[in-house]
Amino acid sequence: MNYEASFTSMTTTRKIGAALLLGCALGAASSLAEAGGQTETAPVGATPTGAAQSAAPTRGPSSSQPAAPAHAAKGAQDAQVNALQRQLKEVQAQLRELAEQNRALLEHQKTIDRQLQQQQEQLAQQAAAEAQLNAQLEAGGGAGQGGVQSAARQPRPGQPGAQGQAAQSAAGQAVGPAAASNSAGGNSALPGAQANSALPDSTSVLPNATPEGGTSLASFAQGVKLWGYGEIYYTDPLHDRDRAQADLARAVFGIGYTFDSRTEFNSEFEIEHAVSSAEDPGEFEVEQLYIDHQIIDPVAVRAGLFLMPFGMLNEHHEPTSFYGVQRNFVETLIIPSTWREGGFNFHGAQSGFGWNVGLTTGFDLSKWDFAPEFPQYTTALELINSDAGPLHATHQELALANAHDLSQYVSLSYFGVPGLTVGGAIFTGKAGAVPAPPNAPIPGSQRVTLWEGHARWTPGKFDLSALYAHGSISNLAATNASNPGSPNPIPSSFYGYFVQAAYDLWQHGEYRLAPFTRWEVYNLGASYEGTPGPMIPEGDIPLTGAPGDYGPWPRNMDRVWTIGANFYITPHVVLKTDYQHFLINDGFTRFDLGLGVAF
Amino acid sequence: MDIPGFRNTPSLSYVSLTPGFFLDDGTPTGGFFRDGRASSLDVQAQLPFITPFEMGNRDAAEVVGRLQQSPASLQAFIAAYGSQALNDPKVALADIGLAIAAFETEDAAFHPFSSKFDYWQAGKVELTPVELQGLALFNNPGKGNCTACHPSQRQGYSEHPLFTDFTYDNIGVPRNWDIPANAANPVSPVSGASLVSYMPAGPGNVPSDAEYGYYDMGLCGPFQTDVIDGHPRPSFVTVTTLCGVFKVPSLRNVAITGPYFHNGVFSTLHQVVEWYVTRDINNNAGNNPAPVPAGPDGNPYFPVGTFYVNADGTPDLYEYNDLPVAFDANVNIGEVPYTPPKFSGGQSPTLTAAEIDAVVAFLCTLTDGYDPANPSAYNVPAQCRATASGN
Repeated sequence: MNYEASFTSMTTTRKIGAALLLGCALGAASSLAEAGGQTETAPVGATPTGAAQSAAPTRGPSSSQPAAPAHAAKGAQDAQVNALQRQLKEVQAQLRELAEQNRALLEHQKTIDRQLQQQQEQLAQQAAAEAQLNAQLEAGGGAGQGGVQSAARQPRPGQPGAQGQAAQSAAGQAVGPAAASNSAGGNSALPGAQANSALPDSTSVLPNATPEGGTSLASFAQGVKLWGYGEIYYTDPLHDRDRAQADLARAVFGIGYTFDSRTEFNSEFEIEHAVSSAEDPGEFEVEQLYIDHQIIDPVAVRAGLFLMPFGMLNEHHEPTSFYGVQRNFVETLIIPSTWREGGFNFHGAQSGFGWNVGLTTGFDLSKWDFAPEFPQYTTALELINSDAGPLHATHQELALANAHDLSQYVSLSYFGVPGLTVGGAIFTGKAGAVPAPPNAPIPGSQRVTLWEGHARWTPGKFDLSALYAHGSISNLAATNASNPGSPNPIPSSFYGYFVQAAYDLWQHGEYRLAPFTRWEVYNLGASYEGTPGPMIPEGDIPLTGAPGDYGPWPRNMDRVWTIGANFYITPHVVLKTDYQHFLINDGFTRFDLGLGVAF
Repeated sequence: MDIPGFRNTPSLSYVSLTPGFFLDDGTPTGGFFRDGRASSLDVQAQLPFITPFEMGNRDAAEVVGRLQQSPASLQAFIAAYGSQALNDPKVALADIGLAIAAFETEDAAFHPFSSKFDYWQAGKVELTPVELQGLALFNNPGKGNCTACHPSQRQGYSEHPLFTDFTYDNIGVPRNWDIPANAANPVSPVSGASLVSYMPAGPGNVPSDAEYGYYDMGLCGPFQTDVIDGHPRPSFVTVTTLCGVFKVPSLRNVAITGPYFHNGVFSTLHQVVEWYVTRDINNNAGNNPAPVPAGPDGNPYFPVGTFYVNADGTPDLYEYNDLPVAFDANVNIGEVPYTPPKFSGGQSPTLTAAEIDAVVAFLCTLTDGYDPANPSAYNVPAQCRATASGN
């Protein structure tokens, strides 16, 4: 489970309590639960109108049945029933969520129990060793307490069995996430800094000493969260088999720390394409680094470098979370996953609604390359990895980002109906421009806007989703007019959408097979100002400068059919395969295999 | 003093914006002279004084001697550097180089950015439709693709486009028989004396079975870094894959700085562009699967004839005749326009005659000295007004 979602473990305790209370109060309505059954909903992909209620539940067709004509009394009764049903469904949705979180917490608890056991074993060993050593010292005339210390005794995060006193106090604590607001005391900004670090302190050496008010090691270990994921691709363009490639696309690890029930820190680091150096294609980057703090119950604040709450993939992009070997094109080229910005936001969730509003850095158009001599991509894999997406080409990634022009966004989602998530978001801001060479600021000032809407519905074994995203950049006429003949002018608008259906075909223990299909459309240059469009060379042109390497210059739009399957070995490990058929750049048509792991 | 030179003199305008020689991810970039053999502008400024085929002073001492016979210059020198500097001729020459470099860097006349193109970029003037078409063809990677080496966008070196990326390229230009050294038996055009003893004693990169005795091969020879250069660039004498590469020059003021290329083989821009788009189509070359004999009957596009000629003016159907055959593989053939796009009907030059005129018209907007208030006074040389039919 990843810790990036807006629901964090620290709110769990409260939510469990609230839900239980509500559930008890509505116990009388339980008989209606069976009658309630499936809700009628609007078709996936359309604006949500809320659950339409009917006395006789049906699945499938989307049109809601007209309310049966009734006498006033019966009408009032129906209304009451409907209201109770609505409440019940809300509760069910919350309970489902809590069940998921509970599962994660149980896992967490098991891990901590294991760690505690290990620590206790090591403590016993150390106690024995120290007893021996003390005996020797006394016999040898006391070389001083410092001799007992060694580098290995430095507290290291997450390492079980370092300091004796840590395990001692841990034994007396409740284990579990609620213990994040633990009895050992309040926060320590520097874990382990108090009293039990490298300083040779006589009191810290002896196993019985307990640091006053400081963080003990076990509680420190409890607060640490480690997670990660990785993806390996094999991709074979079937019309261009010379360009088949295999890539360790991502190796990501995350480190987080829960200071207390209200404050936590998360960070995520990524290495792309296995080797990152000046001569190699990879990159090593910080994907996230932020602090999250619950101000009051409904509102939390987050500051740092964080993921933007757009689309379905950007915040949940582990290989186990999406169908298809590689991420879909719309959420890579239009929404520039993995999209993160620096700044701060306020977010919260209540009654089935989630909201997120923030102020962040934006995009820098002066990075634009108007004169690529060769195509930026000649396969679909290169398309994903290149800067072809307008927002990918101009993102700043908080790397000495221009902050004179900031951007703002709002993201809303609704998940009050079980099995249905609907959301949308909009982002807008002036494009910044780093003034120093080699960036060349473009004339005038431009505004970059991106909005999206998405929905996901999981009736029974189906997993249906759809998304539409649209971006626009203003005031580009003068810029594009001063680069006539360019094969890559800046577009004024670009968009993409997809519809996807997956089905849980087979399950046995932890094995699970889920085939899927997806239809997606993207257009990286829907409209232009100051130029009729990109001047694409015709015919087969040199693609790389290597003699004999000819091909068509790719078009910046496409319609893609994907069909494939995810085979989960465990919920954390997935084998994936797909076949993608490109209708416009048919040289991109390819077969892919992938391996993904996420923990 | 009657030793003729070997290369076309490069322009000094905008020269101070050239970066010192460096290897950009292994790619030679920057440096002064056409082969980058001077690492800095002040070193470059010194060398013509003591080069036999330029000003021909025997050494730095002779330069200092001449300086002392020129009162105004001498006074200015002493005011700047003191009279002590005259005691050591090498130091004095180095100071002369510094002074010239400072002049070229600080005087705005060396980098006015006052071309019609600059005013157009600033929004102060419109380009004509033909000029705009020329710029579009210049930028189009399937047509002129000139921007690949002569970028029309700003790079990191200046706020304005310099129309060069300062890298080195071997494009296989034709041999220029007007350079005396290129003749089979080089003699001075002034005295008739044999030039053999003045030929640069370059590296032995010329194979013994080469067609001619002398080849100017740029970065790998025959001219090397001079001892006065305190930070010489690496020697590429043994890097034979770089034989024949020369630094990409800026295109600013190109309309008034003919002849063109390191050996000055072409005198008009129209010839230059025409050669670019027909280089591997017009002639027999290794990468042309269907060589078209030059001449009115054979070539439907440009019936003027081949650009590669023998010393007697007859067509040399052997292309790249300014390089030994052994180094033909170094010639850049993988880019447009050398390698035009393929269509079902075959390949043809990427620019028609009218399109060549448009590109030339655009290049003529890069001449400095445009005044938006007085456009008719703009320096538009004859070659800018010529058309394909009149050329």
